[in-house]
Amino acid sequence: MKKKLGIYICACGGNISDYVDIEKVKDSIKDEDCVILAKTTMFACGDSNQNDMDTDIKENNLSGIVVASCSPKLHLSTFRAVSERAGLNKYNYVHANIREQASWAHSDDKTGATEKAILLVKAAIAKARLAESLEPIVIESKRSVAVIGGGVAGLKAAISLSRMQDEVFLIERDSRVGGKLHELDTISPEQLTGKELLNILEEDIKNEKNITLMTNSEVVGYSGNIGDFKLKVNISGSQGQSQKDINVGSILVATGFNSYTPADGEFGYNQIKNVITLPQFRKLLRNSNEKLIYNDKKIGSIAYIYCVGSRQAKGDNKYCSRYCCTAAVQASLDVKHKYPEIQNYHFTKGVRTYGKQELIYKESNRVGDIYIQFLDKKPPVVTEYDGAISIKAGDLLSEKKEIEAIADLVVLITGMVPDKDTSLGSLFKLPKGRDKFFNEIHMKLRPVETVIDGITIAGTCQGPKNVMESVNSAMSAAAKSHSFVSKGELELEPIIAYVDKSSCNWCNACSEACPFNAVSMIDDGGKSVATINTSTCKGCGMCLPVCPSDSIELISFTNKEMESMIDVLAK
Amino acid sequence: MSRINPKFGKELKKYGATEFGSCYNCGTCTAVCSLSTGEDSFPRSMVRLSETGNEEEIAASLKPWLCYYCGECSTNCPQTANPGELMMSLRRWLMAKYDWTGLSGYLYKSLTATIIAMVLVAIGVVVFAAYEKFDMEVIMHSGHMFEMLAIAGVFAVILIPNIARMWYFTIIKPGKNVSFMKYIKSLGEFLIHMFTQKRALGCDDNQKRWFEHFILVIGYLTLLFTTVFLDWFGSESIFVIVLGYVVSAVIFVVTFDFVLGRVKKNKEVSKHSQPSDWFFVIWLLLMGVTAFAVRLFIDLDILENNKWLYLFHLAVLAQWALIIVPFGKWTHFLYRSFAMYFAKLTVV
Repeated sequence: MKKKLGIYICACGGNISDYVDIEKVKDSIKDEDCVILAKTTMFACGDSNQNDMDTDIKENNLSGIVVASCSPKLHLSTFRAVSERAGLNKYNYVHANIREQASWAHSDDKTGATEKAILLVKAAIAKARLAESLEPIVIESKRSVAVIGGGVAGLKAAISLSRMQDEVFLIERDSRVGGKLHELDTISPEQLTGKELLNILEEDIKNEKNITLMTNSEVVGYSGNIGDFKLKVNISGSQGQSQKDINVGSILVATGFNSYTPADGEFGYNQIKNVITLPQFRKLLRNSNEKLIYNDKKIGSIAYIYCVGSRQAKGDNKYCSRYCCTAAVQASLDVKHKYPEIQNYHFTKGVRTYGKQELIYKESNRVGDIYIQFLDKKPPVVTEYDGAISIKAGDLLSEKKEIEAIADLVVLITGMVPDKDTSLGSLFKLPKGRDKFFNEIHMKLRPVETVIDGITIAGTCQGPKNVMESVNSAMSAAAKSHSFVSKGELELEPIIAYVDKSSCNWCNACSEACPFNAVSMIDDGGKSVATINTSTCKGCGMCLPVCPSDSIELISFTNKEMESMIDVLAK
Repeated sequence: MSRINPKFGKELKKYGATEFGSCYNCGTCTAVCSLSTGEDSFPRSMVRLSETGNEEEIAASLKPWLCYYCGECSTNCPQTANPGELMMSLRRWLMAKYDWTGLSGYLYKSLTATIIAMVLVAIGVVVFAAYEKFDMEVIMHSGHMFEMLAIAGVFAVILIPNIARMWYFTIIKPGKNVSFMKYIKSLGEFLIHMFTQKRALGCDDNQKRWFEHFILVIGYLTLLFTTVFLDWFGSESIFVIVLGYVVSAVIFVVTFDFVLGRVKKNKEVSKHSQPSDWFFVIWLLLMGVTAFAVRLFIDLDILENNKWLYLFHLAVLAQWALIIVPFGKWTHFLYRSFAMYFAKLTVV
């Protein structure tokens, strides 16, 4: 049946009509094949025009709509929604961008801009003639989530998911949960220790009926897609290894971080006695009684060197590890609290105790700690000095002059680096950033989702965070994972690729080009052909141009549709 | 290179600066200071030197004397580190540093020591009076002689050597090269600042305080001149007698306002009074009041029956001349003027 198209040309309040003669555009396309209605409007996105479109669609029984206005990024979904409200399948809506691509781009050439706008609208009409109604792909989704990593983020996410009635598999590599909480003492700004925090979380975990806790467990196998992931988990126990298969609708990765290990000789580490890292110092402090003694030396003064392994001027780790300034200041305050006579010297690159943590920095200043701000060009030089240690650095706050402190102990404030074990990231093909932490889709708009549908990330596996921020991201990732599994089914975008089996001769080119592992080989009556997983395909189109036999089409962007548009534009 | 010396900060606290450790080096104080310049930037730089305990640079620095304590820095400090009071404390520390006897340091740090010294001087005056059998004529004559001797003695033994030490610490030791001609040419600067405190006018909204201070300096010097060289208490000249009344009244009025300010604490400069500040203003006030009263009693011819008044005046005078002038806040007057002079010497 022949399509009945309605065309709307927007003035965008002058943004378009000041340069493009929209009346001329309307006159040029109103007699195109299939067009039964053509209008200009001051604001296509305005409520009154949306209502007019609704009425037009119903009264004229329109089977396709084109709006020529701004970028589809702005209003594609607006007009798709108008179509749906009027009872027209939203995939019959086609958008033409005559603002960014015509009026704004060619404001110096009104005639040219108008001609280009006419062509763009005609091309959109050509596509609209061929557009087909589509229905979303509906797949079943398991009401269960695998949380990988039992640190503070994993624990909090598991509890949160369980309370939303999802079945949770909490998979921990270690023999106990808690992760780095075991190493943390006072966690600023509250005076709560890592142990105390862990006790609360462990108590919660015990009370949650929906959580299956799997310790000494590692994920070794992975297949499937959103709604239906299959994981193989190796469990090492006292009776040896066993393997378990679990089936989940979503995976939440919370595998955490490692503390940076300084290289031998980095600020005297492993070469000068009494140069240790923050985690080592924490342990020392925890196990000390009346006096702070290290290597048989009573400690009277301590120098802390900040940004070791972070914000490196010459190394790979350009990022700030966020938690270490606060952790260092807190550790030094704990020292002062336990041993008031000890003098602390802080060699920083600028203190970043942001937010409420600023208060402990102020407290630290108040109790008499001395801060030296060194320059990238003149990092601290650590040498032995008369039974103690000399730390020299150019001090930005003292007109960049060199300044020296003599200390009995040097603590290197080491930052965060990604987990040494990269097997999980490789298994899931999780993309990593330049900092080698896992990458989200969009730092601000989609902060816990990964490009693999159904896999979310939380905590420090994504990048340095303090406990509070790890918990925030864990709650957020839990909510996102829950949204994938909560309804029992998932609606997926129908614009995906499909294979013409008759002409396909499996050559693997499409499979290699696919960034989402959506192509696989199947046997079709004795012939090997490609097939596309409808749940994993994102419709990116990477497989189309590499196919030597032109056997792959992308729904809604078929060869026929694209060629018809090109024909108009190239006329 | 300098080595961090945390002990210095602890020492400085005894001179009154207790909050400067809270400084996070934002530099607001330097930005709001109307006297700080690109070449002589403070107070932040001095806060930093104090924190790291760079005694040598502080001793060589004239910056503490370039500050006239308007208090804007302390009002605007986001960390309430009180940089204004730090500058004041550094001046106290420097006065102790310049003083070869070391007594200034003791008196600044210990209120008890100051009180003991004051009491001892007062006892000395009473003992002397008893020794002279409270003969008013002899005592007043001795009092007059004492004034002259004390001024000469304090200058010769304490103040001039201390100025020489200040010169050594700030010019010679740091190796600054100053030609003889420069010393001569810059003398004008020295006199202007000594008698007018011209630089203090650069502080914002400071005109009233500057004017009061100016009047006080002129009044004080005139009273000194009137009592010592014109022998006010012994003079028969109506001009001298009236002049004495006027200047002692002026001192009384101005110092009363200063004391009131310190009691009210409504301005940054008068909020943080150390014992040395109190002694200075109160003794100045007492000097004005007692001198006025003594002359009044003479004119009313009732001093002979109220010997205690002259003894009280003499005690105040002796305490002033032997303690506050050589070792107390009075030396500000001298060191500031010399600081301006020395600063001028090193300007190319």
